[in-house]
Amino acid sequence: MAEKEATVYIVDMGRSMGERHHGRPITDLEWAMQYVWDRITATVATGRKTATVGIVGLRTDGTINDLEEENFSNISILFGLGQVLMPDIRKLRETIKPSNTNKGDAISSIVIAMQMIIEYTKKNKYKRKIILVTNGTGMMSDDNIEGIIEKMKEVNIELVVIGADFDDAEYGAKEEDKDSRKAENEILLRSLTEDCEGVYGTLEQAVSELDIPRIKVTKSMPSFKGNLTLGNPEEYDTAMTIPVERYFRTYVAKPISASSFVPRSGTEPGSQAPVKGNAEGDALASVRTSRTYQITDESAPGSKIDVERDDLAKGYEYGRTAVPIEQTDENVANLQTFAGMGLVGFVQKDQYDRYMHMSNTNIIIPQRANDNASLALSSLIHALYELESYAVARLVTKESKPPMLVLLAPSVEADYECLIEVQLPFAEDVRSYRFPPLDKIITVSGKVVTEHRNLPSAALKDAMSNYVDSMDLVTTNDEGQPTDDLPIDESFSPLLHRIESAVRYRAVHPNDPVLDPSERLTEFAHPSEDMVKNAKSNLEELMSIADVKKVPPKTKGRKRQRETEKPLSGLDVDALLSLEPKRTKISTENAIPEFKQTLSRAENIDTIHDAVQQMAKIIETQITHSLGHSNYDRVIEGLGTMREELVDYEEPAVYNDFVRQLKGKMLREELGGDRRELWWFVRKGKLGLIGKSEVDSSAVEEEEAQAFLAPN
Amino acid sequence: MVEDSYTREEENYEDEELDETSFKSVKDAVLFAIDISSSMLTPRPSPDPKKHGDESPASAALKCAYHLMQQRIISNPHDMIGVLLYGTQSSKFYDENEDDRGDLSYPHCYLYTDLDVPSAQEVKQLRSLASPADADDEVRQVLEPSKEPVSMANMLFCANQIFTSKAPNFSSRRLFVVTDNDNPHADNKGMRSAATVRARDLYDLGVNIELFPISQADHEFDTSKFYDDIIYKTSPSDGDAPAYLQPDTNTSTAKGDGLSLLNSLLSSINSRSVPRRSLFSNVPLEIGPNLKISVNGYLLLKKQEPARSCFVWQGGETAQIAKGVTTLMSDDTGQEIEKSDIRKAYKFGGEQVSFTIEEQQALRSFGDPVIRIIGFKPLSALPFWANVKHPSFIYPSEEDYIGSTRVFSALHQKLLESKKLALVWFIPRRNASPVLAAMIAGAEKIDENGVQKIPPGMWIIPLPFADDVRQNPESTVHRAGDALNDAMRDVVRQLQLPKAVYDPSKYPNPSLQWHYRILQAIALDEDFPESPDDKTVPKYRQVHKRAGDYILKWAEELKLQASEMFGGSVAATSTLVKRGAKTEAAGEHPSKRVKVEDSEAGVEDEVKKCYAKGTVSKLTVAVLKEFLHAHGRATAGKKADLVDRVEQYFEQKI
Repeated sequence: MAEKEATVYIVDMGRSMGERHHGRPITDLEWAMQYVWDRITATVATGRKTATVGIVGLRTDGTINDLEEENFSNISILFGLGQVLMPDIRKLRETIKPSNTNKGDAISSIVIAMQMIIEYTKKNKYKRKIILVTNGTGMMSDDNIEGIIEKMKEVNIELVVIGADFDDAEYGAKEEDKDSRKAENEILLRSLTEDCEGVYGTLEQAVSELDIPRIKVTKSMPSFKGNLTLGNPEEYDTAMTIPVERYFRTYVAKPISASSFVPRSGTEPGSQAPVKGNAEGDALASVRTSRTYQITDESAPGSKIDVERDDLAKGYEYGRTAVPIEQTDENVANLQTFAGMGLVGFVQKDQYDRYMHMSNTNIIIPQRANDNASLALSSLIHALYELESYAVARLVTKESKPPMLVLLAPSVEADYECLIEVQLPFAEDVRSYRFPPLDKIITVSGKVVTEHRNLPSAALKDAMSNYVDSMDLVTTNDEGQPTDDLPIDESFSPLLHRIESAVRYRAVHPNDPVLDPSERLTEFAHPSEDMVKNAKSNLEELMSIADVKKVPPKTKGRKRQRETEKPLSGLDVDALLSLEPKRTKISTENAIPEFKQTLSRAENIDTIHDAVQQMAKIIETQITHSLGHSNYDRVIEGLGTMREELVDYEEPAVYNDFVRQLKGKMLREELGGDRRELWWFVRKGKLGLIGKSEVDSSAVEEEEAQAFLAPN
Repeated sequence: MVEDSYTREEENYEDEELDETSFKSVKDAVLFAIDISSSMLTPRPSPDPKKHGDESPASAALKCAYHLMQQRIISNPHDMIGVLLYGTQSSKFYDENEDDRGDLSYPHCYLYTDLDVPSAQEVKQLRSLASPADADDEVRQVLEPSKEPVSMANMLFCANQIFTSKAPNFSSRRLFVVTDNDNPHADNKGMRSAATVRARDLYDLGVNIELFPISQADHEFDTSKFYDDIIYKTSPSDGDAPAYLQPDTNTSTAKGDGLSLLNSLLSSINSRSVPRRSLFSNVPLEIGPNLKISVNGYLLLKKQEPARSCFVWQGGETAQIAKGVTTLMSDDTGQEIEKSDIRKAYKFGGEQVSFTIEEQQALRSFGDPVIRIIGFKPLSALPFWANVKHPSFIYPSEEDYIGSTRVFSALHQKLLESKKLALVWFIPRRNASPVLAAMIAGAEKIDENGVQKIPPGMWIIPLPFADDVRQNPESTVHRAGDALNDAMRDVVRQLQLPKAVYDPSKYPNPSLQWHYRILQAIALDEDFPESPDDKTVPKYRQVHKRAGDYILKWAEELKLQASEMFGGSVAATSTLVKRGAKTEAAGEHPSKRVKVEDSEAGVEDEVKKCYAKGTVSKLTVAVLKEFLHAHGRATAGKKADLVDRVEQYFEQKI
């Protein structure tokens, strides 16, 4: 459970905050609010009731506070400490505007903020904080400043002062021609924060750091507590048992998830929202889901009937057999296992392929407060480390959970020791897709060729080597020393932070468009300019030798050279085919091959027309005779083949004519009844008109092609 | 099938392998065509007389088919498989009847298992054919070879018809031909050319013929005699994938004994068990600004999970799966709503902050798919812990950029040689969230049968972001002294895995296998198997035999160092230590059990005693829980449950 928080923001709203300074396009107040809104929305986003916020306006036209004294005039409590919700944000957005006065003492506002915190938090445990944002141009009095400092320390409040155009030597900010009163104020505020051991900074820095993503620290809970064993302690007296605990080392942080809503009935999109609260949120109703179950019954209309959930048994699919499982068998179907981590054996580090890592990683540490375990595990860690070995273990995290095989690697740091654990693939997890070697080519006859257009020449290898060597990524540690580390600590999940900041931004600026991701998030999207410059000549050399050519989009997917359509022996099957006496008409049972072969032999357009006519007839017959969807896959295959071939032969018109007719017939139910489902498949397979973008000679514009497939 | 496509569209997993470009459904159909000739049926002796290794090529092929069928039920539950025997005396093709002999379309072709997603019955039938010794006569009769030769053209057209009608519009259709006859129509030119024409039909239909040749005792299988006219260079369905047609070197030469024949055939068929499906295709690999090549991505390593449970309706003749249909309703009106009406919103400050669908998409978009190299680092820079999920595999394609393969190869060789990795910005597909990843080169690996185990290519390993790295929890470090480390080193040295390597193929997933084994038993109404064959359980006996003495030595040393470090008694250390060295130090414990958690030994004894006396229920919950936890048992539930579980534990042990 995170600590309770009480934070008061003091926003200087004086008239001078409405001015623009130093050529900035926005007023000081707008500038300051970038920072303030970011912080406040960050708190709101946590959704925590105990993260409370208060907001005090400084140099406001009126006075709203309990201390009815002259010193405290022109200071308004705009929002008392509490959880900030959307309506509050909307209200504050309206309220926080530059005032018409420059009166109001910043130091007094701090006193008021302290008062608010003390009253609200009493003696309870809280993280207390006051953040003052000002341009420092108002009157400030240092009366009783010691008393303030003392109180601040006593109740343990952290004071943060952020100023527009405040000088900050560390950050390198210095305002030229500074107003003398402002200079005095800066000195006063700086000494105040320093005496309170608070933070004093310039607004420029604060705003520039807003896009540094803030990482949510999650406290890890152990995902396994149990024994690391070598041998079986139940059976042998030579077994080793070390109590250990397991925690996440990495775990992917997921972006906040959106829920589904629909516009509330009565609120048409675009119409005025309900009077009370112009909240967009109010206009949305949440979405519920309900699940019903259906089974196939050919005798029923629509060949489906609904069944009750209660009439169904739990089960699994075994091939196409449905296997119901009785409650009693359920336990049998789950492998019986007991929690524990049993060492299976050891492997050599240099024999392990890093790509076998299958999961996030965990750490294994000795059981808490068990010195013996710590000592025992330490010896295993060091033995593995010294032998450059990893351990393979079978891990069951809880009784009845499926076992996994994990790899354990030693990690020895100056003041920390643990095993790092990652899941290994089982036999079923490895898919054997085969690919030819990359450094040689084996011909059909089994000859090994080392010079080929698909193999790099010695020159290309050299050029690549030089380029790679010139593109070393330099990373540095905190002291600026080069390291061998990957920049993991500086890389932030782009999606997570982008969505999070978009939501927060939208909450405050409901009418603005969504922003581009901040530069921080895309820092690693491109190599750094320095590196590119550095490697430029090597890259040019590589490019000229590599001679990579982009395939023009037109010829992509074009029929491959005819030579590949010969069998391994190179036999001219086409010649044999033309001798086949029977193949003058396309037969229904062998339609696709014969259609392709007819086209490949076609010497004039009439032959193609004729072949398409024959195919059209076959396809229409298939549709007409299809019981339900029984022939649909064949129809789609036929259509798809025709379309592909006619695109390749650049005869779009023939296909387009045919598919137009077919659509008409199908939708007019001339092909054996309702064929809308088939039409859905046609749309899904994108088997509509062949447009200009696909084949130049097509007379069909893109819009027409799209309209053709549009849902009714 | 319609339902499938409808529902599949709903699912939108990041890792789903899609073919976005094609109208075909991403499914695979494999039809075995097994030659049943007398030479195929002649058992080949096993060199090891102790084992039942006598195996004929035909039965090896059937066993492979059976094995593949079982395997695919687990790994590719929507894909089809069938078995066509040819050269048989009897014939069978759908409705056709043996009796009206004259009208048979495909004489001597016996469609034993129709091409379909297999049912439990079919698994059983194929199993009985694969081990005909246990089968009845009827089954054995099927394996009677024909006296006259079968027409290969006929067999190929038979396969054509099976694919055309049973697996239309599949993206992958493959005919696995297993034969030892390299020249079926040696003396009949007409038959031969008819066969080549029918093979061409299959090619044009998009069916890939894969040959599993078996050499005969007296001569090598020679593909040039016949099969080079039948088989095509490229795979028709996967045109841009470079064909890999080298017959696996050992399969064809395995002419000797039955077992090695079976093993090499298995290994060869396994390596083609799944069709190659890409995870993403033609994504540019940007080596530098303005230097792009195209690559395809594949999932070579992916955790295989058991299929999710479903609801089964048993009201009809056969049990069938009930399809769940989800309706979306508005919460305020209860009316059904269309998907297109739905807006996405985030909870914020007690309300919803919403975005239009276009804005949602814009937020998720970080540019077009790309693998962009942003620099190189030594391989050693990639820490062991820096991992979040399985890797993707990439291989070059010439589809978008000509010359991709040679450039990829140059990079591959350079990275291997200099032991470097490339850091890449990786967006696998449109609107996928970008990740920073390490791209490493992987060398080709070949198994003992000459079959490729790991293809050459590059692996993309997604790295954790700073957000994904957890802080180490506090932990006390007591560094072991040298003597203790030395003792442990001796233990480790004794227990290396074969070749000091982890070989996944040796470890089937025990819970997955057990799950499907039980399903099979239930579906076929057979007895449940006694105990699982779990290869992941450590070899306890071996540990004891090989390392037992070393472990005892280590334990002695541990005791010594612990007493030096922690003073030997509980009180001496700190209040934190409730698990002291009590029992170990006392040295009275009769067994030499090597326990680090010592007080547990006390608990152990106590519980044991109570069990013997039948007074387990007298023990406290704390003791029961500690005992159960130490034995890997669940500790949830009421006291009665805990007592039950403890009693169960002892009952099982006996």
